Amino acid sequence: MIQINNLKKAYGKRIVLSIDDLTINKSELVGLVGNNGAGKTTMLSLILDLIEPSKGSVQSKNQFVSKSDDWKSYTGSYLNEGFLIPFLTPMEFFEFIGKLHGLNNADIKSFLNDNGPFYADDITAKKYIRELSSGNKNKVGILAALLPAPEILILDEPFANLDPSSQSWLKSKLKKLNDEGVTILISSHDLKHVTDICDRILLIEHGIIVKDKITNAETLDELENYFNTASKAL
Amino acid sequence: MIELLIHQWKEKIRSPFWQKSVILNIVLGILGLYLLLNFVMIGYFADVILKKVFVNADVVESFARILFYYFAFDLIIRFFVQQVPTLSIQPYLTLPIKKAKLLHYPLIKSIPDFINIVALLLILPFFVKVVCVTKTPLFCLAWIMTVFSLVAINNYLNFSLKKYFSKRPFLILLVLVIVGLLIYLDISKTLSVSYYFSTSFLDIAETPILVILPIMIAATSYYLGYYLLKKNSYIEDKQTNQRVNAGSFSFLTRYGEIGNLMRTEIKMILRNKRPKSLLFISLIFFAYGFLFYQDKNLNNYLILIFIGFFLTSIFAVQYGQFSFSWESSFFDCYLANKISPFSYMKSKFMLFALTSTIGFLVTLPYALISYKIAYINAAMLIYNIGISSVMILAFSTYNTTRIDLGRSQFMNYQGTGVTQFLSVIPVAGFPAIIYLVFKHFGVPQYSIYALALLGSLGIVFNTFLLKMVTRQFLKRKYKMALGFRQI
Repeated sequence: MIQINNLKKAYGKRIVLSIDDLTINKSELVGLVGNNGAGKTTMLSLILDLIEPSKGSVQSKNQFVSKSDDWKSYTGSYLNEGFLIPFLTPMEFFEFIGKLHGLNNADIKSFLNDNGPFYADDITAKKYIRELSSGNKNKVGILAALLPAPEILILDEPFANLDPSSQSWLKSKLKKLNDEGVTILISSHDLKHVTDICDRILLIEHGIIVKDKITNAETLDELENYFNTASKAL
Repeated sequence: MIELLIHQWKEKIRSPFWQKSVILNIVLGILGLYLLLNFVMIGYFADVILKKVFVNADVVESFARILFYYFAFDLIIRFFVQQVPTLSIQPYLTLPIKKAKLLHYPLIKSIPDFINIVALLLILPFFVKVVCVTKTPLFCLAWIMTVFSLVAINNYLNFSLKKYFSKRPFLILLVLVIVGLLIYLDISKTLSVSYYFSTSFLDIAETPILVILPIMIAATSYYLGYYLLKKNSYIEDKQTNQRVNAGSFSFLTRYGEIGNLMRTEIKMILRNKRPKSLLFISLIFFAYGFLFYQDKNLNNYLILIFIGFFLTSIFAVQYGQFSFSWESSFFDCYLANKISPFSYMKSKFMLFALTSTIGFLVTLPYALISYKIAYINAAMLIYNIGISSVMILAFSTYNTTRIDLGRSQFMNYQGTGVTQFLSVIPVAGFPAIIYLVFKHFGVPQYSIYALALLGSLGIVFNTFLLKMVTRQFLKRKYKMALGFRQI
């Protein structure tokens, strides 16, 4: 589904990401873990063609993301607040995104009903997105990414700022979507969440993927050990 | 307190505004110095000017009368231009710093404001040249203290006006109307306010003990500002439950992707302070026609062309030169979502065309002055839609500086770069060149047809031109996005 070849991103001489070869297969649920500044967001931004690679390429369904726009019609994404339009109400924002994918207001209503638990009262209130709390902004962004029923879903730290109920709702939602065949790539600092739901975990450090594992019973311990050792090395 | 000022200084010099072009900074610096020098000159030669205007009056007295107008306009201008040092004190509120200190700080910080400096540059040269020479030292002291007090009163009165009235627009209007009325009464000589002002002003100077009065008023206005600040220093969300008209401009959704994008952009303009104030400025500029459409200009095609260009493109030029920068806070949203780059360009073009047409229609009544205005403006409208809009769009792909939508437009140069300076030259200069070519051959009136023809060609080949801009945009988008992410 997503193929990365010899991808490098450097700012001046500082290399922030370097991936020789990585393939994410259809209907995989991949978790990206790593400390701050490891290159997680850079990697997701490169996959979404938001930043220009210094070298190498990203392909989605065998098409280069920087050359063709086709991936945009089947990829839902939310990385940060830059993906939200601050002066719209959440409803207007969903309409805007929905219209881009040819959905009408009835489609959007039924989508929001289906995802009711995640769609709190605060979001329905007539407030502009810029007035929402970080958690609710996050929810709006994730819902907007889910809205066009994407085949690929890319989320950067989706659990951050979410209340506990929403976190567990989102976990089961992602699991369910994945069972339906959606390819999902998320980054997170919460090792428990990641090991709970992901089939495959990529551990990234200083811009390099140092571990690429299929999740099993020991993965959580293994990751915790890894980060504990890393913290002692500081 | 000093630590706070240092932080503020760092905020200023580390703002991305300064960190982009040395040349632009130098140019702005020279312009600023030139402007300040002008004020000093006006102040220095004020006595000469006053003697010519009020032939038989005492210079110091007529200067005092002028001061009334100065401070009245000063207050009005301050209201629109002066930025109240907003509470950037939030990060400090939880630190062990006395709250009173934090509240005095923005008040004190507002003293070295540009507009206060201008006031002093205008008044001090006169003071040194005339007042000091002709009057007693005590008179001079009282005189200058009164002036300082008046500057301070205006400074803090404006502060309070903005703080207190910011959510009560009708009261603001009321205050402005009162100030305007006073000026009107004076000009119409119904009630000579400036006379009362100047006599009290001079009374104070002659009886120096009375200087206490203006100083006390100044102190009161300071404490009013302090009090209002104190009341507003709690971080609270006071803007909740505002009604949002969600159905606005829904007719645009009928026009597919382009309509959807235009609808969002129109909402952006109407719901954010800076683009909205730009819209109002453009409306005010429509009145410029009254200034230029005078008999002596009606045979000057260059002026008519230029005004026509101006009236039918003011918003497109003013707003359009910052295209994409307006969207900097959600540019990534546009990049990562299913938006065809061509439709994105087309939606902006359509918006320019729409606003230009509105400008044309609104200013059509000027044709009553001369029928020529109607057809010249129509030609300029076609030219602006066909050529200028595309040029503006092409240049704005070079915008890489972020714009915060929430700030006011006045005296706000955020997002302004060399691009804007350079892009206005060809956009506004090209029609002038065409005019000059035709004038050279002795047929200046034909330049109108040439411009209309060029515009029509631009409209016919619009898709082709916009595709070129799109290609340009795709080449530049990473650089633009990178710049827009710098907060």
